[in-house]
Amino acid sequence: MPDISEYVFLDKNKLDFFVSKLNTRQRVVAPVRKGVKSYAFAEVPSAKDISWKYIPTILPPKKYFMPQYETIQKFDKSKRTWETVVSSEPIVILGVHTCDLAGIEFLNAMMSSAPCDAHYRNRKANITLIGIECLDYCDGSASCAVMKNELPHGGYDLFMTEMKQGFISHVGSDRGRNIASDSRIFTPAKPEHIRELEELRARKKDIFKPEINVSHEELKNLFSQSFESNMWREEMEKRCVSCGNCTNVCPTCYCFDLRDELDLSLTTGERQRVWDSCQNETFAKVASGENFRKKKGLRQRHRYMRKFYYPVEKHGLYGCTGCGRCTRTCMAKISLKETINKLAEEQQNSKEPVLNQ
Amino acid sequence: MTKPRVAFFDFACCEGCQLQVANMGETLLDVLQAIDVVEFREVMSEKSDDYDVAIVEGSITTPHAVERIKEIRRKASVLIAYGSCATIGGVNGMKNNFNLDDIRGSVYGEQARYFETIPTRAIHQVVLVDYFVNGCPVYIPEFVKVLKSALSGIPYRVPDHAVCVECKLNENECMYDKGITCLGPVTKAGCNSWCVNNGNICYGCRGMVTNPAVDGQKDILEKHKIPLAWVENKMNMYNKACEPDREARLNVEKR
Repeated sequence: MPDISEYVFLDKNKLDFFVSKLNTRQRVVAPVRKGVKSYAFAEVPSAKDISWKYIPTILPPKKYFMPQYETIQKFDKSKRTWETVVSSEPIVILGVHTCDLAGIEFLNAMMSSAPCDAHYRNRKANITLIGIECLDYCDGSASCAVMKNELPHGGYDLFMTEMKQGFISHVGSDRGRNIASDSRIFTPAKPEHIRELEELRARKKDIFKPEINVSHEELKNLFSQSFESNMWREEMEKRCVSCGNCTNVCPTCYCFDLRDELDLSLTTGERQRVWDSCQNETFAKVASGENFRKKKGLRQRHRYMRKFYYPVEKHGLYGCTGCGRCTRTCMAKISLKETINKLAEEQQNSKEPVLNQ
Repeated sequence: MTKPRVAFFDFACCEGCQLQVANMGETLLDVLQAIDVVEFREVMSEKSDDYDVAIVEGSITTPHAVERIKEIRRKASVLIAYGSCATIGGVNGMKNNFNLDDIRGSVYGEQARYFETIPTRAIHQVVLVDYFVNGCPVYIPEFVKVLKSALSGIPYRVPDHAVCVECKLNENECMYDKGITCLGPVTKAGCNSWCVNNGNICYGCRGMVTNPAVDGQKDILEKHKIPLAWVENKMNMYNKACEPDREARLNVEKR
């Protein structure tokens, strides 16, 4: 039985008031419709602007933790000075799915392991995260269950689950406690709310089932054994077009390029950090012209290994949250789930004894 | 420090890139602090044969233009090709789809014999080019970036990855998701996905990436039921004059 004191209740007709109250103190961003069938996190003046039921946004909320383009230093050539620029503003990210909460947790781990990233840490300190529970799959691209992210595992200040009358909300931090303490908006959760939440979670067990033929625990081994698979040199080499979409939309990719931009005075300027992608042809190209990952297929292998093998070896964490963005956005319709199933089948076949020798 | 003397020239083009520069707005004041413009047909009457940097718009389409660009190259320490016509041949390249005499006859009629013509060429196909500012028209932030690179003597490399990269960072909804074909996946970035940001498709004006994934692209077209000829046609609009470059590169790779 969950500890009822950690829960509060938000009545549906107080949602508007809740969002406008949040808006008085800081910028509030939440998923909004973008285009024909996409969503994006953007500023929401009121609750009615929010798309509560949405498939993962084009870019994950990591854009608030490490923006696509970020000035991190300023320099003056004439004075030979460098100055670090650390800027951030208080912001509430509202309506974050559990997969994206997991993505942020992953980034937190990467960015706080030495050397700690001061720019990331500073922005993170100013961000309030309010999650929302998914009651059904976003679509067939998602694989949140096998990545064990269909349920919340912390990493939020407040986590809301929609029920018949309103939202039962779990308090995940002091900051969340502070928000939940506004008695004009939240009321203490009642035992029947907890019961409803438990029933709802039980129903979710029937909806969310592992989406691939490999277990969570086996994924790492599968990838460690698939390094030389034909998948990379043949299928991926042929299909991938290196548009970089898969990494740019990934909630756990954090590679960046540094660009020094002079002003027209040619004396002062700034150093910018810009998202980079291991899928770009020039990513692993060095000064001599040598390219360490010239083949598209091997660049894809690197991406997969960075999700399912390397970080598991080093940090004990999978770099995939199961959000399905890479599959959804792929120009060539390369599906993460299909790739994994094919690799598993390959491994299976190679293990079967060859009878007719 | 004396300001570098900069001259703007044009060949076969619409002069739209010069217009972009003239229409730069406030940044132009900063630009003029950094350079001394000695010739710029679209905005001033003065001319000069004495310049350090030549900024050239347009493609080379006549024997006379060949001589003229060679002369400019001889005088300039730094040559910047800007705009699609100058960097990849641009729309003038469509001429290369036809027989030269037919084209000449169609344009000049009975007077055709007075007008010598050659296949359209980008500037770098005739003389050495130090900097490229791709685009139709040029994207002003990139133009300024290249100018700064030239003035500080450091190289500028046109990004050799798809427009999609910048388009995703701008969080645009993919045109293909709207059921519209877009040349972003095969076109060089650097324009900050300017067109798509404004609701248009990418027309491939910056030229094809060095290694477009031909097999993968065909796959995509098949899946979206888009005829290959249709895309080739669209690609021809800007990229025709660059075909010899691509063939030469493939030959080098074969060897």
